[in-house]
Amino acid sequence: MSPDPGPHVGRFHPFTPLVLTLCVAVLAVAAPGPKTAAALYTTTVVAVFLGGVGRAALRALIPLAPLWFFLFLLHGVLGDGDQVVILGLSLSREGLAAAVTQACRLGAIATASLTLYASFSPARFVDAVADRGWSFSTAYLVVATLLALPRFRARALAIIDAQRSRGLRLRGSPLNRVRAIGPVTFPLLLGALAEVDERGYALETRCASGVVHRTPLDPPLDRVGDRAIRWLAGAGAVAVLLWRVFG
Amino acid sequence: MNARLLALLPAAIAINLVIGGLVNAMGLPLYLDSIGTILATVLAGPAVGMLVGAIGQVLFGLINGYQWIPFGLIQIVIAVLAGVAASQAGFRSTGRSIAWGLLTGLVAGALSSIISYVLFKGVTATGTTAVVTLLRQLGLSLPVAVTASSLALDLADKAVAFLVVGALVRSLPNRMIGRFARAALAVGR
Repeated sequence: MSPDPGPHVGRFHPFTPLVLTLCVAVLAVAAPGPKTAAALYTTTVVAVFLGGVGRAALRALIPLAPLWFFLFLLHGVLGDGDQVVILGLSLSREGLAAAVTQACRLGAIATASLTLYASFSPARFVDAVADRGWSFSTAYLVVATLLALPRFRARALAIIDAQRSRGLRLRGSPLNRVRAIGPVTFPLLLGALAEVDERGYALETRCASGVVHRTPLDPPLDRVGDRAIRWLAGAGAVAVLLWRVFG
Repeated sequence: MNARLLALLPAAIAINLVIGGLVNAMGLPLYLDSIGTILATVLAGPAVGMLVGAIGQVLFGLINGYQWIPFGLIQIVIAVLAGVAASQAGFRSTGRSIAWGLLTGLVAGALSSIISYVLFKGVTATGTTAVVTLLRQLGLSLPVAVTASSLALDLADKAVAFLVVGALVRSLPNRMIGRFARAALAVGR
């Protein structure tokens, strides 16, 4: 489902990257200005490269690039207040600071999230959840959805190919494209409902709805280092949040 | 949780994510990332719809970045309103589906504009932000531009989403509808 987690990140307990990602998100929201936000983004990128999943940081640039462009345009170019000339362009000083802060916040969160995705192993996650004695349904929902996504994407592409071979046009005027929504989504939705029926019976015959606790086959090790990282990161994020709210 | 719900939830979440991605790839100024939430609500009730919306948003964040998590609140509001629509046979006809979709779009658009402005400084999905930039160039202030673009896009988006779910559920055979008791009420059977 996800690419090779790399030599370093893959060794962590599955909950450790999850907690670190949430902490980065909290720190990004709490970052007060452009310098702090830029420092957080730089630290996140360096940590991701050191963790052996630098590709995730590069992949994050794809969704980030248009957001950064529009932040610069809306706040830097079209922003109000004091103007400053940079490379012949008259830009809003306050708007530029706001754009850089927001761009770095989004950069840190997106990079951390995509790193988590790149290092996420559904099987290890299910075993970790089962090892804690948490609900089977929760783990099943997360993993079943992640495994369903590539299957649904492949089915959607197959439907598009089939409908195009029957003359459906996905390009052209907006009206043409709106008209294409029905022929593309209906077969996908009907197929999904048929699958719900089949999987419902399959889960019932395996008594999935009655499972409260499941014995993990090969639970991932939760080392002292993992626990220390999680507690330190969590405490750090809470401390920064409290400082921002009450400081 | 019963086995049918355990099977329905991943499918509905995948529908949200896959159709949202497809529409984005088609270059339409719509999201259609709530069809799974609305469908799950119509078939199994608003609590299931809320679960689909919330888990879907968490997984969308995992794949595309957790910056979009606050928009999960909108998915929950959509599930609540779709639940009310279903209890009032709001999917019985095309007209009723569109009317409930527009009402949901109004509420979702208002909420979306607040999240977009306060947390994202007006820069979110590319299509919406392009409209915001255009309105800013026409001289509108940022809050007004964000509100106008969010409302316009959400009204159209939710009207189409409710229309698609309504047409789908009405086309289901009684055998299938019978497995989801709430669906019969939603389409007035």
